[in-house]
Formats: sequence, structure tokens, C-alpha cells
Amino acid sequence: MQSSLDSPPTAEPEVLRLTPAGRRSRLAAVVVVLALLLAGTVWGDDDAFPFGPFRMYSTRNDPNTPVISTRAVGLTAAGEEVRLSGGQVGLRRAEFEGQINRLREHPELLGLLADAFEDAHPDTPELVAVQMVHRKFELADGKPTGDYTDTVVVEFDLEDGNS
Amino acid sequence: MTAAPATAPRPLTSRWWSAPVPLARIAVVRVIAYLFIPVDVFLTTAWVRAHADVPTEWYAPLLIGRVLHLPTPTHTLVLVVQWALVLTAVAAATGRAPRLLGCAVFLLYLEWMVIAMSYGKVDHDRIAFLVLLAVLPTIGRARPRDRRPSEAAGWAMAAVLVAVMLTYFLAAWAKIRFGGWDWPTGSTLTRAVLRRGTPLSDWTLEVPWLLTASQWVMIVLELAAPLMLFVRSDRARVGLVLFLIGFHLMVFAGVTIIFLPHCIAILSILPWERLTARSERQAPQSLATSSSAAP
Repeated sequence: MQSSLDSPPTAEPEVLRLTPAGRRSRLAAVVVVLALLLAGTVWGDDDAFPFGPFRMYSTRNDPNTPVISTRAVGLTAAGEEVRLSGGQVGLRRAEFEGQINRLREHPELLGLLADAFEDAHPDTPELVAVQMVHRKFELADGKPTGDYTDTVVVEFDLEDGNS
Repeated sequence: MTAAPATAPRPLTSRWWSAPVPLARIAVVRVIAYLFIPVDVFLTTAWVRAHADVPTEWYAPLLIGRVLHLPTPTHTLVLVVQWALVLTAVAAATGRAPRLLGCAVFLLYLEWMVIAMSYGKVDHDRIAFLVLLAVLPTIGRARPRDRRPSEAAGWAMAAVLVAVMLTYFLAAWAKIRFGGWDWPTGSTLTRAVLRRGTPLSDWTLEVPWLLTASQWVMIVLELAAPLMLFVRSDRARVGLVLFLIGFHLMVFAGVTIIFLPHCIAILSILPWERLTARSERQAPQSLATSSSAAP
């Protein structure tokens, strides 16, 4: 409500200073956060979010080693693939890749996902299995050769495992 | 008005951290930051909300979740956090109760990020935005027409600038740590384009040397990021922001990844007070014809 219009617009406004205590606590906060960020970068991993290392695209890919792309698919009785790793069950491809070791030990997690998918999509044909598939694109001197191979890395049979 | 003091403080010194910034800039930055949150929640990272429908067994808590004993994100919890966050952010954008609402937005957004990152993939585009949300409540009241320079505002903006800088500098560090010193000669960008390429980037697969050269440019620029702490004049600030946003738009065109929250933090580098000063300069003329007070 108080208008600042009465103050002359040309006058140089005074600087709002910090109190000595305010200055000290701010510098302390800076030191703590910088220390955590540096520690995360040097020793931490993604688990240390938000202080983990900024490792986006930080791993090196050898120019002659295949590039791997993962997908999670449900299989119908007719053998058709229903994609699950494109957001259909609330998870992104990278999230499947990030939990791949856990999935190898607990493939039944894929079964839970299939249940959730079938609940949300009652129209699609019934799924009989869920698979995690690695697609390997071959590289030669950093250039894709156009060849790829698919490998099933985790599979969960819904008929045995569930129902 | 933009004249730098006789001796400009050197980056990271105590004087640099509290070099005053007009409150008007904070008033604009605050609206941008808080109104971005509904956009982020509903539009640009709507996949966080999708975790509500994922079986809770898939939740893989991060260190922060284990240490603070944060609750497992059930369907209800995700929806409650989502709506509390959006409503608080919109309320905070009005500038009312900046400390209370600002703290609430920061804590809710942090929890929203824990829900986002606890399913096997951690994104690295949030740190500067989280720092921005953390420091905004420390400034207190700031009105668009308040041209008084404030040391508290200066500290907050310095913290965001450092966070933006570190996002690049520490990214180079991570490349050396995880990828090795020969990271730039690898095929990391080839992998990125193979997995996420667009019509604008697929042609680069045929030109591997170009992607390798881009890797060299990227790591050198990232290592040079601390230079951005020297920006002082308004012109340099605008130039820096255009350069950084340009880089992120190029990455988006190539692999459809955009560091949007980080870009919002970048926008806080701009001298927004010039915008409100301009509207103020036009105001007196209209006041001369009508005596009604400005809202």
C-alpha cells in the first residue's frame, strides 16, 4: 500500500547493508555447500543427490565398442512387443537402465510393473512375459555401421511368476 | 547507473559475495522462478508425477532419503506434494510472505526432486535452480520499483551465479573422473545422438570428427567456466546469458535434452532492474495527466 512515488526518482538510493551476523552466517552457508559439492564431485556418486557429481555424459565411449540402448517390453501371447520403457508405466528408459542390476536380482519387479500396466490399459491384450532388451549398435571408428543385435538381459514369465 | 565501483571486488572475496544488487531485480527473478514451478510440474517434467503410478517396490531411495527417513512415495504422497508445491509456488510468486512461502517452496521442491530422482536416474540440471529457491527467502521483501541496492540480494545472486558456474566446471571434473583424460577422444556424443538423435543432429553421425571436435570444445569451455564470475557490466551479463541459453538450445535441438531449471537459474544473471526502471520512467508522464495512484 505504501507507495514509493514520493521519493525523488533521481536520488541515489541508500545501500541496504547486511548485519555482521547475517554476513557471517551467509559465508558459513557458502563454505558448507561448496564443501559438500566438492566432496560429492570427488568421492560421491548419483546417490549423493543433490551434492553428487555432475556426471551427465561423463563416461567415455570407445569409438569401436557398441552403443547399448535398453528397452523394457511386455510380450503378448501372440509374441507382439508392447513397449513399457517409453513412459507407459511411469518410468523412463534411463530409470530402467539405472535399476538394471536390481532387476537382475529381482525380476519379479517387472511382474509388478506388468500388473500396473494392465490395470492402466485394460484394452491391450494380456501380457505373458516382460523382458529387458539390450540393443547393441555396432561402431567402427566412431561411426555406426548400421548393424545391431538384440539381447534379452532380464526376463520374467508372468504365468509362472504371478497368478 | 551501471558504473562499476572504482575497484571492482575480485570473485569469491567477501566483498564480491555481498556486492549489492537492486531489489527490483529480485522482484522479477522471484516471479520467474516461482511461476516456472507449475510449468515444470505439469509440462516440462511431468514424468515426476508419473511416479505416482509406479509400484512402490520400484522406489530406490537416495542417500538423502535414507538419512532423513523420507517417506516412500505412495500414490497419495506424490499427489499431495505436487499440489502443495504448485499452490505454494503460485502464492510465493505474488511476493507475499517471502520468507515463509519461499522456505516452503524450497522444501517442497526438494522433496519433489527426491521423488523424481529415486527411481534409478538422477538428473543434473537442478542444482542451480535449487540454490535459487534456497536463497530467495533470505532476501525478504522486494518490490519491482524498489531500486535500493541490497547486500542480501547481492549474496543471493552471487550464490546462484556460482552454482551455475559449478554446474559446468564440475561437469568437466566428472568427465575427467569418470571418463578419463581421454574423454574428448571418445564417442560419447555419438552414443548420445544414436540414442536420442533428431533430424537436426542425425547427420553428424556421418561426420565423427565433428562430434569429437565438439567434445574438445565442450570440455575446454566447461573448464573455463570460472571466468563467468568476472561478469560485471550489464552488457556482459546479457552476452553471457545469450551464450549459455544458446548452448542449451543447441543441445535440445540435437538430443532433445534441455536443462530447463538450470536455464531459469541462468536468467537470474540478467539485470532485470532495467526493465522495471523503464516502466517507471514511463510512469511519471501518465501520472501527470491522471492523479490516481499507481497500483
